[in-house]
Amino acid sequence: MSPSRPSSPWRRLRATLRPPRTLKVTGMGRTYLVVTFGVGLGALNTGNNLLYLVLGLLLSVIILSGVLSERCLRDLSVRRVGGEGAFAGEPFAFRWALTRREGHAFALTLSEVDVPLTGEGGVGHLPAGVEHVVRADLTAPRRGPVKLVGVRVTTTWPLGLFAKTRVFPLPGTLLVFPRRGFACATPEDAATGHVGEAHHPHRMDGTGDLAGLRELGEGEDSRRVHWLKSASVGKLLKVEREREERRTYVLEVRAGLADEALERRCEEVAEQAHRLLEAGHEVGLELPGQRLRPGAGSGQERLLLRALAWVGFEEQREEAA
Amino acid sequence: MRQPLRLRLVLRDLSTAAAFASMAISSQVPVWTLVLFALALIVALTGRRPLARAPRLTALLLLPVAGVLYLAVAAGQMDLVVAACSFAGIVAAQRLLSESSSATDGQVLLVGLLMIAGGAALSGDLVFALCLLAFAVLASLSLGLAVVEAAVPPGEPVPVRAVMRPLARGTILAVVGAVLFFILIPRLNWNMGVHRATPGLGTATSGFSDTVRLGGSGTLKSNPRVVLRARLTPDPVRTEQLSAYWVGRTYDTFDGQEWSTIGAAKQRHRTRVTLRPGADKQVYQRIELLPAYGSRTLIALETPAKLGNALMHTPTGDRRTRLQELGGDELRFVDDGLGYSYEVYSLPPGTDTDPGRMNQTEADQLLALPENLDPRVEQLARQVVGDEKDPLAAAQKLSTWMQREYQYTLELSGDLADPLVDFLFVRKAGHCEHFATALTLMLRTLGFESRLATGFFGGERVGEEYIVRAGDAHAWTHVLVPGRGFITVDSTPPAFRANQSLQVLQSLISFYEAIEGIWRTSVVDYSFRDQLDFMRGLSRPPRESSSGEQRPSGPPAGAWWTAGLVALGVYGLVRYLSRRPRRSPLGEATRLVDAVERQLTRAGLPPQEGETLEDVAARFTRDAHPLGPTLAPLTRRYLEARFGQRPLESGERARMLEDLRRALDTWRQGSRSNAP
Repeated sequence: MSPSRPSSPWRRLRATLRPPRTLKVTGMGRTYLVVTFGVGLGALNTGNNLLYLVLGLLLSVIILSGVLSERCLRDLSVRRVGGEGAFAGEPFAFRWALTRREGHAFALTLSEVDVPLTGEGGVGHLPAGVEHVVRADLTAPRRGPVKLVGVRVTTTWPLGLFAKTRVFPLPGTLLVFPRRGFACATPEDAATGHVGEAHHPHRMDGTGDLAGLRELGEGEDSRRVHWLKSASVGKLLKVEREREERRTYVLEVRAGLADEALERRCEEVAEQAHRLLEAGHEVGLELPGQRLRPGAGSGQERLLLRALAWVGFEEQREEAA
Repeated sequence: MRQPLRLRLVLRDLSTAAAFASMAISSQVPVWTLVLFALALIVALTGRRPLARAPRLTALLLLPVAGVLYLAVAAGQMDLVVAACSFAGIVAAQRLLSESSSATDGQVLLVGLLMIAGGAALSGDLVFALCLLAFAVLASLSLGLAVVEAAVPPGEPVPVRAVMRPLARGTILAVVGAVLFFILIPRLNWNMGVHRATPGLGTATSGFSDTVRLGGSGTLKSNPRVVLRARLTPDPVRTEQLSAYWVGRTYDTFDGQEWSTIGAAKQRHRTRVTLRPGADKQVYQRIELLPAYGSRTLIALETPAKLGNALMHTPTGDRRTRLQELGGDELRFVDDGLGYSYEVYSLPPGTDTDPGRMNQTEADQLLALPENLDPRVEQLARQVVGDEKDPLAAAQKLSTWMQREYQYTLELSGDLADPLVDFLFVRKAGHCEHFATALTLMLRTLGFESRLATGFFGGERVGEEYIVRAGDAHAWTHVLVPGRGFITVDSTPPAFRANQSLQVLQSLISFYEAIEGIWRTSVVDYSFRDQLDFMRGLSRPPRESSSGEQRPSGPPAGAWWTAGLVALGVYGLVRYLSRRPRRSPLGEATRLVDAVERQLTRAGLPPQEGETLEDVAARFTRDAHPLGPTLAPLTRRYLEARFGQRPLESGERARMLEDLRRALDTWRQGSRSNAP
């Protein structure tokens, strides 16, 4: 990941001019400043020493807020622990590990900086020398690789008047899988290939390898009921045979799709793959310039999802590689 | 939704109570506001929020309250600041009873802040400082807990214990910062708006009425509250206890039950009144009557000659007031105020004085006796005085006899038909009014002109001032001596003339008064001039004292302290800056790569497309390029710094770049010399 080319002068200038900390005034802080200004005016106007005293307290609280929040953000180190599968449009668990070399930190919230990920994680108290894993439910709006730049750590400690932020540069990539829950039909013409002993996948003579037993679904053929087992467990169980039930599908995302059409197709394929794999079938994938061999199980689903997430972002994939 | 932390809410509610108290101690906030806020606070502290279901409706109810307050201000029945403070109190009460949320909590604390500001405008008492401190501590803790509570993920406990200590430390620092700011910020306005507002510890307890009625329990003598402060010039006696009479007014008519004055009030109001001609060595007094005094009658050391330059302290500021002359040498302030300051010139004790302006009726009244005076009083007087013709000697004989024969007590049986007879012949015990009344009337039965005087006796030194307590209220006798004027004769036993309060209570009150005195001089009356003096004291040696002490050579101790503190601050700053984290190793290493690539490009050896520094170094080594031996260790060091957790040391980047520059120069020269 060493830089192969110097960054642009504009980006370097921006990086140079970027303050080490950013400060935002919260809603309450704004009102606090207005009150401070009013008390200051009142003190100057009347010469009332008690108003000067109150003004002194208000101003010293402002300074103290700056000092204590700075102490909170000092001596911190952050690393990404990562998360489970990130699907577009729904919250996914994401984790950072936060460590402090010395002293205590309070009221820290963490989020990813400059990326379209919403959500943040928080920690109330971070003692020194302990790695604290902060969990957050993030949401990505769309599929694809998200180039992570850094982690934003914000604190409103001590009084919630100002939110001070420090950005920890931490490059990385988060792959967002296609959105789930897209209504789709089972592909009718994709049943190809075979596994097991039989050569003809459509032969249903009851001689295929036994794959297992499962509860008889509504509308399913009652001739497949395993009566002995059903009687022992008290519910109807159906015999699954490999070459009768398991089929091999190769799903396809055609070349030439773009934008919304590509998104919808990716989501549809992901959903189809999910359902087929759940049903025990094998699923392969035909993508523009890439082909994934059929396979079954959750590992295959993860491979398919990763491949679908990269569709349309091939350039970035090469960069990341 | 997460249940709010109960401790935080309690702290929030208590901080609001402290803010409200800072206004309430001024005694200017209407009673209905006090009651409403107190009820809201009690309900809130029990954890109930009855207005949570209808926050907007109840907020709308605040509008008519605002309207009523506005009308009261417009009608002149209420001060604008008081109305604003009252409204802030009502808003705080409404918010206390509403559902707790971050917005509500913020509003409650900000209304509290406004109430503190209102309290500063209404009150200058020491109690305000306590309220301010309580508000600062409680509000800081509450806000800090709220911040941490918001950051803690749902379901996890709020680390209250871990938060409390740094919050408390931060609050202490904030208070110290406030004090420093207060001391150092230049005052752009002279101290004109200070309000000395309230009696402080409850209602005023002293006071003068138009009559003195014998009887009652005499509880005033046990009241240790300070009612008067006086600065005397010259200081007559450098002593802790001043045995002086502070006269308020005199009475010439006794009807058997109570004393009164026949003199009529003069209609003319003046800023300065001369009661009698002055004399040499007059005692100048700068007197401040505190709100605890509770009367408009001027007090002065006996015997006052000139009074004036009166300032009245009101909730809206200080302003001049005029004096009205009443019968019995009494002077009153024309306007009602919370406290007063004025100047007095008094004749020194022992000076022959003018009896003052009296008409014939008033002069005759000095011998008047009540119609139903018991004849035994005169017999007793003659029996004690004998044939003495000198009024002063007769008065002293009677006084000495009474001090010997009669007991001082504050426990009396209440109102009686003839309290004087009861005192002289039945109980033979009483307080100062009984002693003074008995002496005055006995003198009159013998034909000596006399009158009753009331005021205070005593005075304790506190710093450069004398304070007089409510319990120092006293009564004594003025005997008119031809050619010498009225002479004070006090028949009350000396041990019982000053206040009779409990020593412990008196000590506590004295302690409070001492702190309040510091508060008043150091905070309330702290001015630009004080700031200049403070700064001057830090940098310049004190002026040569009048006692002839030798001026110390070199800077004063304050200057050394200041220099030490500044040096400490600079040292701390340097330590802080030196401990600041340097640029991240990532940035340093990246900048090194950028600089190396720039130098190579300038030298005509730019990296190829997609070629990293490692690739360039490998290529140079592979090709036996003259720059290879220089670039290889540089690249290795870069990789260590970038990925190997061995950051570049200070100046290392510059050194390596300098080495590379030299190698490039050498390579260029070599290339030129090899060129055909």
